[in-house]
Amino acid sequence: MIRLENLHVRVGSFDLQDISLEVPKGGYALIIGPTGSGKTTLLEAVAGHARLRSGRVFMHDDEVTDLPPERRGLGFVYQQYHLFPHLSVRENIGYGIRRTRGDRDGFDPAARVAELAGLLAIEPLLERPVRGLSGGEQQRVALARALAPKPSILLLDEPFAAVDPATRQVLRRELRELHEREGITTLQVTHDFDEALRLGDLVAVLSEGRIAQSGTPEQVFRYPNSAFVARFVGTGNVIAGTVERAEPPNGAGPFRGRFTGGTLTLDVVAEREGPIHAVLRPEDIVLSLTHSRGSARNHMDGRVVRLERVGPVTLVHLDVGRPLIASLTTRSVEEMGLRSGVTVAVTVKATAILLV
Amino acid sequence: MPFRSLLSRVVLAALGACLVLFIVGPLLRLLFFATPETLGDALRDRELRDSIALTVFTASVATLIAALFGVPLAYLLARRNFPGRRLVQGLIELPVVVPHPVAGIALLLFLGRRSEVGGALAHLGLEFVSHVPGIVAAMLFVSAPILVSGAREAFRSVDPQLERVARTLGDTSWGAFRRVTLPLAGRGVLAGSMLAWSRSVSEFGSIVILTYNPKVASIYIFDRFTTFGLHAAVPAAVILLLVALAVLLMVRVLQPAEHQ
Repeated sequence: MIRLENLHVRVGSFDLQDISLEVPKGGYALIIGPTGSGKTTLLEAVAGHARLRSGRVFMHDDEVTDLPPERRGLGFVYQQYHLFPHLSVRENIGYGIRRTRGDRDGFDPAARVAELAGLLAIEPLLERPVRGLSGGEQQRVALARALAPKPSILLLDEPFAAVDPATRQVLRRELRELHEREGITTLQVTHDFDEALRLGDLVAVLSEGRIAQSGTPEQVFRYPNSAFVARFVGTGNVIAGTVERAEPPNGAGPFRGRFTGGTLTLDVVAEREGPIHAVLRPEDIVLSLTHSRGSARNHMDGRVVRLERVGPVTLVHLDVGRPLIASLTTRSVEEMGLRSGVTVAVTVKATAILLV
Repeated sequence: MPFRSLLSRVVLAALGACLVLFIVGPLLRLLFFATPETLGDALRDRELRDSIALTVFTASVATLIAALFGVPLAYLLARRNFPGRRLVQGLIELPVVVPHPVAGIALLLFLGRRSEVGGALAHLGLEFVSHVPGIVAAMLFVSAPILVSGAREAFRSVDPQLERVARTLGDTSWGAFRRVTLPLAGRGVLAGSMLAWSRSVSEFGSIVILTYNPKVASIYIFDRFTTFGLHAAVPAAVILLLVALAVLLMVRVLQPAEHQ
């Protein structure tokens, strides 16, 4: 378990602050955010490399705020791997073992190195120097080295940033398997929300040194709480505008409203008036060749600009007076005969529009 | 265009070759000026043997002292950002720009019996002027900057993140230094120490003011030259040159490829 309480770290003129987060035992959490949002600083703070101005860090109910990194019992895999260049692959993996575990019962350092080398398929590399290893090989060695002392917590800083996409997929799968196998509480940093959706139980979106939103990846993706999060996680179309009340006040709670953003006017269900962002998820935008007028629906005409096929799903780029993206199954796109230049009826339910 | 690029290469090569010849020429001339017989005679000269032994000894002591105080300082300069770091870095390099006789006079004033420091040390039995410690002090003064800057660059070439990795793998900060930084920087530190050592061996200007007797090799050569003339000075000069070449060779072997 990792629990962070109101961390505040200052690096130069950058402040990482109000960071509170809890990763349950055996959980897999991801910190995502754009470059410069403080992701790496956050990991450094958890590891004990960065000095806290305030706040507390707990690991398994023990407070470690004042402990040096070597006494926190964690493994750290860096983005650039940082293998020890003067040691062989075997010596790199075994580096942390002797120190922490060598004398304990039932823990054979050589067997542990062999076990991890087997799991990560790097046995043939064991006697090699680390110079000359490929990016994927270095990544595996770095992972094995961090896991070798059997830490209860693993910190990963953009571990897949420097490997090719094919290797990245394999490594992601292996990492998830290792995570299950070792039951290790993991905190990973990434700028890639796709990774969070695939790997994490919990995700925290970092923006300019603060947590903008945290929750399950699905929650964050479906219900972003700000235009920043919606844009960053790629929830869909984010349109800036204002909401006006469309019915007389009727106590507290949601009301029917009218959202105006540029040339676009939409019926929405709102909770407040004034400047706001409307988020239209691509999968909530319905396309048809003819209009079928129903109640509480937003209808408009759109022209197909281009089609972007993403596996079984096709993203339809539309022009409705402003750009809008809808997603359909590739099969329906084919059945409807959609292609660029075609005019379609675009419908969005008022209740499907998220206002943030 | 190909002609111009060829021409520019020829010009560059010619310019470089002139300088290399200017350095190598005199040294080769000196090497071949001595005959095996004169070298043998010189080595049988007890006074020369003593002066070489004294030079090697004092240079080694000066290097050890410089390493003891300089290596930790070099690490601090390479890794820590403390107030006044640039000032310290500038001060430590001061001896490089101070003319050596000036350094000798400064040391004489500082370590002579009539100064507070020199007087106190003499009271403890440590005499500098016209004594062996004076040679060591002069050598230390001129060679310490070389050792510190060599070691500093060696530490700087080691990725500081490696120490952080070692910390997360259970090492204390001293353990990480000993198991990671020192092995990686060691060759560079040693190369810097050897350069400092050879700088000590070649020192003349400040030693001649502080301790003329007992004579280190450079002063012995100067003494032979002024007393007996050129021919008498050559064999000793050749021997000192050979020592310097041997050290240079070792430094080249020790230094990591990217620094050569």
